[in-house]
Amino acid sequence: MPDERLARFRAPALAFSVYLLVIAGSAAVLFVLKLGGAPALIAEHYLGSEARFTAPSTLGGLLEVAVPHLLAIPLVLFAVSHVVGFVRALGRRSYGVLVAVSFGCALAGVAAGFGVRFVAPALAWAKLAAFAGLEVTLLGWAGLLAAIFLRVSRLRAPTGETFAVDARGTPAEVPRAAEARRGRPEEALP
Amino acid sequence: MRFLVYPSAAPRARPPVRAFLLFAALALAGFAAQRVFAGGLTPAGVEAFYLGPDGQEPLAAVALWEELHVGAFVYGFLLFMLGSLAAVAPVAPGLRRVLFFGALAATLADLAAPFIVASAHGAGLVRVGTFVLATAFLAALLVLVGAASAAGRPRA
Repeated sequence: MPDERLARFRAPALAFSVYLLVIAGSAAVLFVLKLGGAPALIAEHYLGSEARFTAPSTLGGLLEVAVPHLLAIPLVLFAVSHVVGFVRALGRRSYGVLVAVSFGCALAGVAAGFGVRFVAPALAWAKLAAFAGLEVTLLGWAGLLAAIFLRVSRLRAPTGETFAVDARGTPAEVPRAAEARRGRPEEALP
Repeated sequence: MRFLVYPSAAPRARPPVRAFLLFAALALAGFAAQRVFAGGLTPAGVEAFYLGPDGQEPLAAVALWEELHVGAFVYGFLLFMLGSLAAVAPVAPGLRRVLFFGALAATLADLAAPFIVASAHGAGLVRVGTFVLATAFLAALLVLVGAASAAGRPRA
């Protein structure tokens, strides 16, 4: 935790991590209840089934699910990755990979639904993999957020140094110098 | 977060914060109106919504989980934003803590309440209570942040 002033955001950040878990958990339950969870059942959900008397998904029906998710998932990922990135809890490369995998899985998950219906039923595997990937990364983000803000008091700078800002609110050299003295913040995390 | 942590950036943050608060207030009012129109203010109305008019046509499990999923997104985001803004608002820490943790507890209870109504085959009063508390706490937090934003600079 590079800046002790972040301690005041402990409660909202921890509450957000709890809500991330609720969102991820309820998404998993809905995935199983609606799509079935297995590739064959997922394909059946989109293509319809004579045995179950279900019709194939329509383009309108797919869009009805896709559009809110195209807004909500990136918004959630943006918010949580923004906070984790701000406190520099991960190395640049790990952070970039986590961001790319989360957003990639989200996009692949939305696209795969259309793919199963209009391109190839075998893309049900992609739908399943993308959903699993998104769930794992969501849990990862929630865990990171919780780990960072649960340790906020222990990671406080002992000398009380804080970010220096110039007139435009740009951080100056102080945090880098402080980090160099006490090690990178990510090394303090489990 | 950057706007909130660097006090010198606060003046630039104020217009979007005020606009966000306006939209949050409208969203909260709309969310509450939806509930009221669906009978959310009386136990009988709540039970009719979740269990059917005669108690024999309960909502499917998928519908309950969908409500939880959407509600968690709405409540989670609102709390995160309002809590972060309240953290830099020049108000008594005790009041801020009561409102934030009250809102957190009430919204979580509100998300769980439909499952209680469905499993108890009644207890509509629980949902009425959680709805009123969640709305009241969030509205109070919103008013607090709005008043602080209108008053001037955030605490450094």
